[in-house]
Amino acid sequence: MIVPVLIMLVDGIDASTQLFGHLWQTVLPSYLKNTILLGVFVVLLSLIFGVSSAVLISQTNILFKQHLRWLLLLPLAMPAYLVAYLYTDLFDYAGPVQRTLREWFNWQSPNDYWFFDIRTLFGAAIMLSLVLYPYIYMLTRGAFEQQDQNLMRASRLLGLNAKQTFFRVALPLARPAIAVSASLVLMETLADFATVQYFSVNTLTTAVYDTWLGYGDMAAANALASVLMLLILFVIVLEQRGRAGLRHQSARPNIQKDLIQLTSIQQLLASIFCWALVILGFILPFGLLIAMAIEYSNVEQLTRLLDTGINSVKVSVITATVAVIIALVLGLYQRLHGHKFRHVPQQISGFGYAIPGTVLAMAMLSTFGPFDHWLNDVAELLAWQPPGLILSGTIFAMIFAFVVRFSAIANGTIASGIKQIPQSLDYAPATLGMGLTKTVTRVHLPILKPAIFVAWLLVFVESMKELSAVLLLRPFNFETLSSQIYQLISDEMLEQGALGAILIVLFGLLPIILLNRKREH
Amino acid sequence: MTSLLEINQLSVKLQNKLILQQLDLNLSAGEILGLVGASGCGKTTLLNAIAGFAKPCAGSMQLDNRQISDSEQFIPAQDRQVGMIFQDYALFPHLSVKQNIAFGISDYSLSEQEARIDSLLALLKLSEHKDKYTHQLSGGQQQRVAIARALAPQPKLLLLDEPFSNIDARLRNELMLEIRQLLKQLNITAIFVTHNKDEVFTFADKMAVMAQGKILQLDSPTAICQQPNSWQVADFLQLGTWLSCELNKNELNTAFGLLTLTDAEYDLVKKKQQSVEEANQKLVMLIKPQYLEINEENPANACVEHISVTEQGYHYTLASLSSNNTTKDKVSFYSQQLLTINEKIALKVNPHPILVYSQ
Repeated sequence: MIVPVLIMLVDGIDASTQLFGHLWQTVLPSYLKNTILLGVFVVLLSLIFGVSSAVLISQTNILFKQHLRWLLLLPLAMPAYLVAYLYTDLFDYAGPVQRTLREWFNWQSPNDYWFFDIRTLFGAAIMLSLVLYPYIYMLTRGAFEQQDQNLMRASRLLGLNAKQTFFRVALPLARPAIAVSASLVLMETLADFATVQYFSVNTLTTAVYDTWLGYGDMAAANALASVLMLLILFVIVLEQRGRAGLRHQSARPNIQKDLIQLTSIQQLLASIFCWALVILGFILPFGLLIAMAIEYSNVEQLTRLLDTGINSVKVSVITATVAVIIALVLGLYQRLHGHKFRHVPQQISGFGYAIPGTVLAMAMLSTFGPFDHWLNDVAELLAWQPPGLILSGTIFAMIFAFVVRFSAIANGTIASGIKQIPQSLDYAPATLGMGLTKTVTRVHLPILKPAIFVAWLLVFVESMKELSAVLLLRPFNFETLSSQIYQLISDEMLEQGALGAILIVLFGLLPIILLNRKREH
Repeated sequence: MTSLLEINQLSVKLQNKLILQQLDLNLSAGEILGLVGASGCGKTTLLNAIAGFAKPCAGSMQLDNRQISDSEQFIPAQDRQVGMIFQDYALFPHLSVKQNIAFGISDYSLSEQEARIDSLLALLKLSEHKDKYTHQLSGGQQQRVAIARALAPQPKLLLLDEPFSNIDARLRNELMLEIRQLLKQLNITAIFVTHNKDEVFTFADKMAVMAQGKILQLDSPTAICQQPNSWQVADFLQLGTWLSCELNKNELNTAFGLLTLTDAEYDLVKKKQQSVEEANQKLVMLIKPQYLEINEENPANACVEHISVTEQGYHYTLASLSSNNTTKDKVSFYSQQLLTINEKIALKVNPHPILVYSQ
């Protein structure tokens, strides 16, 4: 994982001397400015949406609490580019909203009225935060609910009311979780490609894509990807510092009985706010997709859907299986091996998730491309049949990139499963005459079955949804569900792919249902 | 009796810290040894070293005339024929009671397995639970499954790591007697770790008191209580309280009067006296409450500091008074007579075998 990224960085730095100067004088400042502005806007909006909904759900007597609790997570299943497309469709000049307004008020041309333009940087920020805020909501709500009940009781005994206790105890204690989730949102934003591309907002991600696919300039693309990687590293450092403070977990979870009591009006406003998030982030766009599917679906679409669907499933199954096997090997090695540096491989692989698909794709291209050429040269030298681009020209590079990117998810899930196995179960088989291999196959693996299933499913779903790495790494004429839908979106023909889009959203719902069930039990 | 376990000069280091220091231990076949000591004294590490989970840095271990660990070889845990019952029982959650018991005997033929499992289920009164999962059982039943599982492969030595700590007090005694009877019936050699000395009295034939990685004393529980070989042993077992004393010819001068020593006692105290002077320590006498009595003829020599009510009457913590009325040692005393806090009383020490230590 590290090698390709290093090669890309070295390539990028290598190219920097003249190229970088050129980039700096032309496009880089505005790309950088857009990237940073987008990051700031998305994080701010997501914090407003995520923290306030988490507070309302966990600390107040809001209406429909039991439903909103999980409904607020649903937007996570919506790819931002889909929301962007659907809202553009809804709100642009030819869309139903403006059409209806024109009919009502008898406006003739755009000059007769003002209407907001959604295809701007701020519009993109709203789209992204509508689907990314659940990260903040989920972690912050979790932090509130995990807080030690006795701390709150102590505060109440010291004379503070529920509201004061919230601001002086609960909120400060939740700060690390808020920071960690905000950095997750920031990473996702920096990694986004399709939304900004669709809105023609030039960021570093779109620049990498254009430079490579548009102009075939790998050195420049590498240089841009390296800048993006540096930004991400900065966020990782922030995230790690936030995580260091994340130790306020408790054995006495605080399922609040003593809630902040809202007045009826406040209750109503609070639930309108939360419902608006759910509707705008999930229900409305999903409804539009369904309407589209009903109106435009036909047999030809279904066959195309089947082809790309099979491709997606194939890639995702391989990725999930490889990632889970790696996670099991790393996790069990860490658990059962006494080596001093046994944590290192797992920690390093954890960074993979932070690397945007675009950067990772560039790293794969810079590594496997030259390697393939070298292989072919060697084959020619030995008068063998040249193997062609067996690494960079097949789904190998794509799967490799996916595994690197999603290993962290598998590792985390498997590691937490392993953590729940009491240490004595590592020893007990030996006292009954079992060696290490049998211990693993007869005790650890059977106990880990649920964790293995969840890890596999999570990686599978993420692979089904991944887009940016696919666009750069897919072999010629190889389409996955997401790349096909993106293509249709670019061509303003999502109607043709509405069914596929629904399928992606449904796959996206799986981990949410799973996460929700895990937390409820 | 033949020696089953022989440990010589065993040292174990964990994370560069010496946990066991040149420890010696001998255990005969069929004996049950109770290992006691304060937290962190190395009890569990000793069990782990015997089981094969902690690698010694020096010394040797022999089990049933077979070298299991020395400078050249270290037999892995699975080949030692040592069974273990863990504090949390370590039952496999994905297997039924029957499958848990069968776990260690999978190389037996199926009919042998069945026969062994059935006899253990019957012996441990688990037959009706054989198809249940372990989380469906009570704490006592889970412990019985752990025992059955450990006994199934017929280990030469059974190790028990605080086996009774998760059982509630009322059941504990009953269970201890039951398991002791079982081990005796099967003639199983066992070592069990506890920090509760009362468990040793009920469960063990022998007792080893550990401190700082060494065994301070190894003997029958009664012998240790009657003649603890050091101040640490007596103090850990809370055999009594401590009274400062000085040797004056063949008499011991204490706050509660002069005590005459026998010749044997005198020789012993004289030796202690020498070591005390060399090491700048003081002489203390172990005083058990049952040897103290109120003697109203003497001048007051103790003051009541704390009173609690027990089954044996009132339990007093007294402070001994020296000649200038400053308080010194704290001693325990039981009486049916009700005294008040700060009341000054006169105590005398009834004749008994005197135990003096350097502190």
